Amino acid sequence: MVEPSAYLLLSAILFCIGVVGVVMRRNVLIILMSVELMLNGVNVAFVAAGSYLGDVAGGIFAFMVMTVAAAEAAVGLALLIALYRLKETIDVTELRILKW
Amino acid sequence: MVSGILDGLWLVPALPLLGVVLNGILALFVERPLLLPAAGPPSAAAGHGHGASYRTLVAFIAPGVVGAAFVVALLCVLSLAAAPPEGRIFVQVLFPWIQAGAFTAPVAFQLDPLSSVMALVVTGVGFLIHVYSVGYMSHERAFARYFVYLNLFMFAMLILVLADNYLLMFVGWEGVGLCSYLLIGFWYEKQSAADAGKKAFVVNRVGDFGFLLAMFLIFWTFGSVSYTEVFAKAPLLSGDGTLTTGLATAITLLMFLGAAGKSAQIPLYVWLPDAMEGPTPVSALIHAATMVTAGVYMIARSSALFLLAPDTMMVVAVIGAATAIFSATIGICQTDIKRVLAYSTVSQLGYMFLACGVGAFTAGIFHLTTHAFFKALLFLGSGSVIHALSGEQDMRKMGGLKKRVPVTFLTMFAATLAIAGIPGFSGFFSKDEILWKSFSSSMGSPVLWVVAAAAAGITAFYMFRLVFLTFFGTSRMDPEVEKHVHESPWTMTLPLSILAVLSVIGGFLGIPAVLGGAFGVPNLFEGWLEPVFRRAAPAAAHAAEEAAHHSAALEIGLMALSVGIALFGIGLAYFLYRARTEKPDEIARKWPTVYGVVFHKYYIDEFYEWAVVRRVVRGADWLWQMFDARFIDGIVDGAADIVRSAGDRIRRLQGGIVGGYAFSLLAGAVLLVGYILYRSIVQ
Amino acid sequence: MSLGNLASVGYFLPELTVTATILLLILMHVVTKSPRSNAFGFLSLVGVGAAILLSGIVPAGAGKSIFEGMAAYDGFAVFFKVLTALATLVVIFMTMDSREMDGRSQAEYYIFLLSTLLGMFLLSSATDIVMLYLSLELVSIPSYLLAGYFKGRERSTEAAMKYVVFGATASGVMIYGFSFLFGLTGTTQIAEIGRSLAAGKATLPMLLASVMVAVGFGYKIAAVPFHMWSPDVYEGAPTPATAFFSVGPKAAGFAVLVRFYYTVFAAPDPGSALWRLTSAVDWPLLFAALSAVTMTVGNLVAVKQDNVKRLLAYSSIAHAGYMLMGFVLLSPAGLKAILFYLVVYLFMNLGAFYVVILVSNATNGGEDISDFAGLGSRAPFAAVSLAVFLFALTGIPPFSGFIGKVYLFAEVINRGVYWLVVVAGLNSVVALYYYARIVRSMFLDEPTDTAAIAVPGVPRAMLLLMVAPTLILGVYWEPVARIASDSIRMIAF
Repeated sequence: MVEPSAYLLLSAILFCIGVVGVVMRRNVLIILMSVELMLNGVNVAFVAAGSYLGDVAGGIFAFMVMTVAAAEAAVGLALLIALYRLKETIDVTELRILKW
Repeated sequence: MVSGILDGLWLVPALPLLGVVLNGILALFVERPLLLPAAGPPSAAAGHGHGASYRTLVAFIAPGVVGAAFVVALLCVLSLAAAPPEGRIFVQVLFPWIQAGAFTAPVAFQLDPLSSVMALVVTGVGFLIHVYSVGYMSHERAFARYFVYLNLFMFAMLILVLADNYLLMFVGWEGVGLCSYLLIGFWYEKQSAADAGKKAFVVNRVGDFGFLLAMFLIFWTFGSVSYTEVFAKAPLLSGDGTLTTGLATAITLLMFLGAAGKSAQIPLYVWLPDAMEGPTPVSALIHAATMVTAGVYMIARSSALFLLAPDTMMVVAVIGAATAIFSATIGICQTDIKRVLAYSTVSQLGYMFLACGVGAFTAGIFHLTTHAFFKALLFLGSGSVIHALSGEQDMRKMGGLKKRVPVTFLTMFAATLAIAGIPGFSGFFSKDEILWKSFSSSMGSPVLWVVAAAAAGITAFYMFRLVFLTFFGTSRMDPEVEKHVHESPWTMTLPLSILAVLSVIGGFLGIPAVLGGAFGVPNLFEGWLEPVFRRAAPAAAHAAEEAAHHSAALEIGLMALSVGIALFGIGLAYFLYRARTEKPDEIARKWPTVYGVVFHKYYIDEFYEWAVVRRVVRGADWLWQMFDARFIDGIVDGAADIVRSAGDRIRRLQGGIVGGYAFSLLAGAVLLVGYILYRSIVQ
Repeated sequence: MSLGNLASVGYFLPELTVTATILLLILMHVVTKSPRSNAFGFLSLVGVGAAILLSGIVPAGAGKSIFEGMAAYDGFAVFFKVLTALATLVVIFMTMDSREMDGRSQAEYYIFLLSTLLGMFLLSSATDIVMLYLSLELVSIPSYLLAGYFKGRERSTEAAMKYVVFGATASGVMIYGFSFLFGLTGTTQIAEIGRSLAAGKATLPMLLASVMVAVGFGYKIAAVPFHMWSPDVYEGAPTPATAFFSVGPKAAGFAVLVRFYYTVFAAPDPGSALWRLTSAVDWPLLFAALSAVTMTVGNLVAVKQDNVKRLLAYSSIAHAGYMLMGFVLLSPAGLKAILFYLVVYLFMNLGAFYVVILVSNATNGGEDISDFAGLGSRAPFAAVSLAVFLFALTGIPPFSGFIGKVYLFAEVINRGVYWLVVVAGLNSVVALYYYARIVRSMFLDEPTDTAAIAVPGVPRAMLLLMVAPTLILGVYWEPVARIASDSIRMIAF
């Protein structure tokens, strides 16, 4: 039996790695992956809480998050392709027409 | 409380509003695209086809809604009349409007004898003028826009007269002011029209400021702005010393300032003559029959307050009499037909104020009614003349039109007899009532009578001068103009004829007791209005009783004297403009200074220009130089610089890189989390 | 007691209508040969119109909990459904009038628009955090697509890309907070979470989780510092979509913010204190600071903008700040002020965007303040309308925006948070500066092209329909204020 707090620690670490990735990375693809990492950290927390409480709602919530993450990824990747066609780059520092 | 038909009272203002909406839709969606200088090539050609049909629609809607409003108003008044005199007051609360603490003002209408007279005059004369406008404005491109404004005016005017509290009245008051501004400047491409609109607007603001302050004082004193509450409380509060004479004088003087602005009394009359730049039916409706009389209505409505302030009453009477004679003299030398009528209107409004000032509110409202008939008729007739002469307004270029435009001549002549005070015509009864009251009332004085009677003589003189110059003698028209002279279409002559009938017989509604009493004919008008003023203030009845102390012989004598003065004026006009037509120029040459001064309207406009406008401009200029440019601008510019540079710095944070955006979001989250952790540690 | 699934369907008619319309649109898109036809727009109009009618048809009464506690059917939800559906209706008209959209497939656009509307319906009635999360994403994901609808245009794609990254991060933070709430209370019901908090269980972690949730809501209403996406997205998106974002999702964001915090944190006895646990967190101060920062940043940055769409984006951030003033005390009067303000904001902001579209149509896509020069003579009706909207947005009497602000200010003054009033007052002065800049340009600057701009009948009528409430609510607002205050009574199952 692993302590519930260990799962929470794992989830926090995953979430933070995701956050750092979103903020620091320049490649849009990596940023989208980092977002997924954040959401996976959330999923770990949900599943852990669900099994600790003996409540399936945690698992259900995790499935919902995955579904939404898939939809988000689909939109994100579609936009990524459109972007690449236009600019032939997926570097966020090149996305600077809109500012100030 | 009466009800039934009266529950439809809200329809009276609502119907013109419906006209505004319908015509507004036509004006915006059908007419406006046609007026645009051909935005798209194909639409211009396609536009003309249905151009005519929408005009027909407007021509039916606009007078139709006003006519319907008149019918509804008439039914309401008839059902009100069925009640006993003391019960003739009906208040219809539509919905609560403003509720802020102690201050409440509902949208509610009040129909009592006074407001019913006003409502009938406004809708009745208004309907005729709408019909007339259909003919007069038939060549106008912005046909629908004109009727939108005109219907909007009717709506605002009916709100003004039917309101049951001062705030709602003020809404109507501002509304008619706005419409007046829009209609004076209707031909805004013309510089003088745009300027005249602006002048009316500015001068009226001075008066409105007075009205607003008065309303504020009323609320402060009475805790309400509703007529019923204010007038019921007025005697009580003046009894217990809350409402001192000084306070009542302040309130009423401020109200009078508002009335003087709207009704063009000294010193705020200067905008009205310039207002003649608007289309002639507008002059007839707004600047003769209805809107300009709003000030008189306001004072009559507030008679309970005015009677508590004898000083104000005296001011009102004196200003009224002074305006009556002053503007009548200006009317003598004017050559523009509409301007003569404009000064005549100012002068007649002076009579109404004189009546109110001596406590004869009934006489004032009676003159308001007959004046609405004959002055609207005179304006419409002059419009018909101008129409016939292809836009000529200078009387020196008219003459001999009697046979060419017979209906116009006959109707205008009837109105002239009425305004001159020829016995039997409506103006005689109402004007003589005022003259008599100004002499006999406890607040009156023989001096006021002399001034008013002299003004009546001058009125008879300049009106007959107008008629002689326009219709009699030989033609002085441009040959080109003369070729096109024609009588106006029936849409214009029919309203003229109806108004002519009213101008002739309208006076029989209010035959003075001294004449009618012998034949058992009662003074219907006075009987109808009497409950209003008795309820408002028993003191008014007292003033009327005072009049009864004078003998009937004196009254008849003064009446005969005033008729004599009027006949003398007519005779003089005949002598100068029919018999010895070279005389006027001789007189002008003989006394060039006097003639010049009167011709230039006593240089009042120039005086205002010098004393007020230029001073204000110069003072403002100085203030601007010293205060604004150096001090305020310094601060404002400094503040604006700070704002701009702060804005510039903050916006640099939005660098365009999405990672930075995410960082800002997370920083915000961390700040929030950090704050909560900090609080929990501190605890 | 909450209703079962079948029993709930009767209270779900607007949502079902919108869903059916979306399915019909998809079907039409598949079978039709002309994806550019206006038929899609008309079908959407019918669907949304029907949804509005159906929203009002079943009286909310005291409120019902439906779908086993997933959502609520109450006056509050109905208010926001009608509001967001109205905004959508106007935006559909805008889209049909916008030349920007000419020659593009219309079907997908309306599918995204209506999906967002469905999301907003659900968001304003969600009473369970699972439902709340799903509906928030249902608002967000189609919005990304709307923003990036011009996939061949760099600005549009860039805006959408930024929107996706920012939105996903914000919702990630939010559900991280939800996972805490679930773990700590063992329930997904908002009302249950509130009860646990009242019982005093694990207060600190609960509070931490709640502020993480606030990040998600803050992103939806574009409150500083969670606002950074909005100027870029507003500038890059198609203008009708921008207009939509500035009103619809923002209103839904306020709905969920109010419902979540009111259910969880409002003290049962409003007499003593309005927030629970003010000893642990000074909620009023927290939200007052958020409100002050939001309006100040929005207004200050707006001053320096030349692109009208971007200017209106910052102005709408500032307006979110004003509306947060009503949230500071979590009192019914303050919340009522938010609802009232949203109504007036709907008309004045959508109206302003409508004129922006008309100008952009006439100037070949021009969106700068200089493109508005001389509009007063080129298209007087549109120019006067825009002036009315801008003065209303500034909050000058007698326009509706003034009354809206009076309500927002009044509650804060009543409760003695004077410094916030001073900040808001100063902000209004700054706002006057940049709104007046547009008005000045319209009426005083010489246009480069003097040709009259023809405004066709439909946009003219729509403008009239926006101007009328902006003027009328400035003098007679009693009924709307009453509806707003009736809608505040919320159920808590």
